[in-house]
Amino acid sequence: MISKTFKNWFFEPIHIAPLAVLRIAFGVIMFISTIRFMLRGWVEAFYVKPRFHFTFYGFDWVKPLGEIGMYALFMLMVVCTLLIAAGLLYRLAAALFFLSFTYVELIDKTTYLNHYYLVSIIAFLLILVPANRYFAVDAWLKPQLKVVHVPAWCVNIFRLQLVMVYFFAGLSKINYDWLIAAMPLRIWLPASSQLWLIGGLLTQLWVAYLFSWFGMIFDLLIGFFLLSNRYRKWAYLFVLVFHIVSGWFFKIGMFPYIMIFVTLVFFSAETQLRIIAWIRLLLFIKSDSKEAGRTYKPSIIPSKLIFTVLIIHFVLQLILPFRFVFYPGKLYWTEEGYRFSWRVMLMEKGGTAFFHVKDPTTGRSNEIINSQYLTQFQETMMATQPDMILQYAHFLANEYKQHGIKDPIVTAESYVTLNGSGSRLYIDTTVNLTRERETLFGHRKWIRPFIDKN
Amino acid sequence: MQACSKSSGGDDGKQTNTQFDRKGLLTNMSTNIILPAYTSFQASASALNDAVVAFNASPDAAKLTAAQTAFVAAYKQWQSTSEYDFGPANQANFRVNINTYPADITQINTNIISNTYNPALLANLAAKGLPAIDYLLFGVGTDNASILAQYTADAKAANRKTYLAALALEIKTSATSVLSTWNSSYKATFLAADGTDVGSSLGQLVNQLVYDYEILKNYEVGVPAGTQSMGTTYPQKVQAYYSKISLQLALLHIQAMQNLYMGKDGLGLDDYLINVNAKYSDGRLLNDVIKAQFATATAKLQALTDPLADNIRTNPGAVTAAYTELQKLTVLLKTDMTSSLGILITFGDNDGD
Repeated sequence: MISKTFKNWFFEPIHIAPLAVLRIAFGVIMFISTIRFMLRGWVEAFYVKPRFHFTFYGFDWVKPLGEIGMYALFMLMVVCTLLIAAGLLYRLAAALFFLSFTYVELIDKTTYLNHYYLVSIIAFLLILVPANRYFAVDAWLKPQLKVVHVPAWCVNIFRLQLVMVYFFAGLSKINYDWLIAAMPLRIWLPASSQLWLIGGLLTQLWVAYLFSWFGMIFDLLIGFFLLSNRYRKWAYLFVLVFHIVSGWFFKIGMFPYIMIFVTLVFFSAETQLRIIAWIRLLLFIKSDSKEAGRTYKPSIIPSKLIFTVLIIHFVLQLILPFRFVFYPGKLYWTEEGYRFSWRVMLMEKGGTAFFHVKDPTTGRSNEIINSQYLTQFQETMMATQPDMILQYAHFLANEYKQHGIKDPIVTAESYVTLNGSGSRLYIDTTVNLTRERETLFGHRKWIRPFIDKN
Repeated sequence: MQACSKSSGGDDGKQTNTQFDRKGLLTNMSTNIILPAYTSFQASASALNDAVVAFNASPDAAKLTAAQTAFVAAYKQWQSTSEYDFGPANQANFRVNINTYPADITQINTNIISNTYNPALLANLAAKGLPAIDYLLFGVGTDNASILAQYTADAKAANRKTYLAALALEIKTSATSVLSTWNSSYKATFLAADGTDVGSSLGQLVNQLVYDYEILKNYEVGVPAGTQSMGTTYPQKVQAYYSKISLQLALLHIQAMQNLYMGKDGLGLDDYLINVNAKYSDGRLLNDVIKAQFATATAKLQALTDPLADNIRTNPGAVTAAYTELQKLTVLLKTDMTSSLGILITFGDNDGD
């Protein structure tokens, strides 16, 4: 019984329409997102202007490509999003988009956002599925490509991914700060009190509690309601309201719209066909009379490879959010195991970091003016994240070595406040950070413990 | 779900829950602090320009003293004007154009000798504004008689007068333009953006307060005292090195920041922090801690004397002690205050998630 359900989940032939709609939705929203990123001047601000970049562990080789190179890369992304939406040269476009988008994200962890991570994942999964076999230019140019049914896994992997995103986001909200202290919403909501109509409500403490608890329950359950035939429509209505409202309150850019677009994948083939009919009407594309068609059957060797990749991917997805349990200390404070875990909007964290470089031979030292090396955005993000503090310390050591100081001693004096705790010393100021090495999963002993004095 | 929200009473029953009047704060700050500051600075820049014009027409000892007095008045007024480098001031690059120091003496003299001056040239940033006039009115000779000679007997006297006049006029012109933009249109823009994001007026105000405070800490005190040069001091890098009023100016500067923080006698950031019941890590009210630190830092500065450059040479320990207290206030303003108010501090903004 279970094995049959399991088998159905993978291999039952289902209509390809959800995949075609997802392809179009993702292409369109990423087109808008990429254009918006360029118009805001962020290519320049994040990838051209900084003289130092906080790369991810193991990705030191990822470097910005210079002004012309970066804009060319973004233009390539724009072209790919359009090709993905149109379903033209689809696999190539999806692969190129995945590679270029992920490359940009890997340049600097200052700009890390969970929804960029999600975009990379969806782009990656899209490479693996035949989303160009229906209502796509590829299928129109080469009618033999056209299929009407695909094995269910082609659609279900996206649904599974999104259920996991919501569910883990919900799990991460089950903690003291979020539920009992109503933090950080208690700080953030009153900050939006200028909003029309509801501004006054946002300063009420009970509203912060209501939003906190509702947010937790929404995230935990919404994925499952979206899977259910019976409740899907209502669930999607909740998705719309939840994301539009949070987009209105908080500065979270494209995230709400990306979620609204990609969660369309949960709808049944019937609904998806109606969406396609509507797009046809909008774009004056005449409807396809020969609906009956083949079922997509990938050849054996690639499909084995795809399954292996998918299994590794989803096992990692399942494990990564739980890796934090292996670290001592308060997760929000140390941020060890924080990224890549769908922890969103959980912290109001701020910091100021002073770095001191000491020449061991003379005993004299320097305080660094961070703005000489970092953009203000980088400085702000660095001050509260230990791995970035360490990277910057190593960068400073190199700078001073080049100025002729042998074995400079670099220490960080960082004061951090977390969810209204008030600032306190973050890093052990006696530790020479040049002697500390970054490891993939190692614990950083030089982070001072968070002691709740209140 | 409703039961849940009712059952969680929270850890802090004393929260007031009343909406803070951010628009009132912006109104108070623009009407009672920012506009008066711009008005006074425009008046003092105008007086400086007049004094320079009079001096140039017939240079004598009395007119030199008058120009020097007008300069000191303008530099003092600048201390409570530099904080608002957003909107019209930011458009005009007001802060860097008026007060980039230490002055580049070589560049100034090159301009005088060649009798050319291009205000738009980047190399001229340190050869213009108040620091350059500081040098021209106080630094070109050892006493007023020898300074006067540079404008009368010297071979390049005419060029020097032309240069001095160009700089004084430039300050007056940009001060007038910033003030008139504030008066004509920007005040309404300022009051309308009453949110807390990066583009909001409060966001910009707090960003600039913190930024200008770091200039005070780093460039008025730290850099000359050697905090950024492995202990090697650079006394000549202080603000107003030639007129020897560096400490006076630093004290006026920190006072102006405290004034802005307190909203003078009206709604200020202090009231806002009280409203949201912001606490310091030891449980004290954050506002009390910030006020106390303003007082401590000011007291440490008051323990020094002008000329600050001489203090740095003879008593560097006291200067470093003042620097340490100034640094503590940086953390309180930049981290504790902005985080408690949910104000975004980054200029290069990005989506949060």
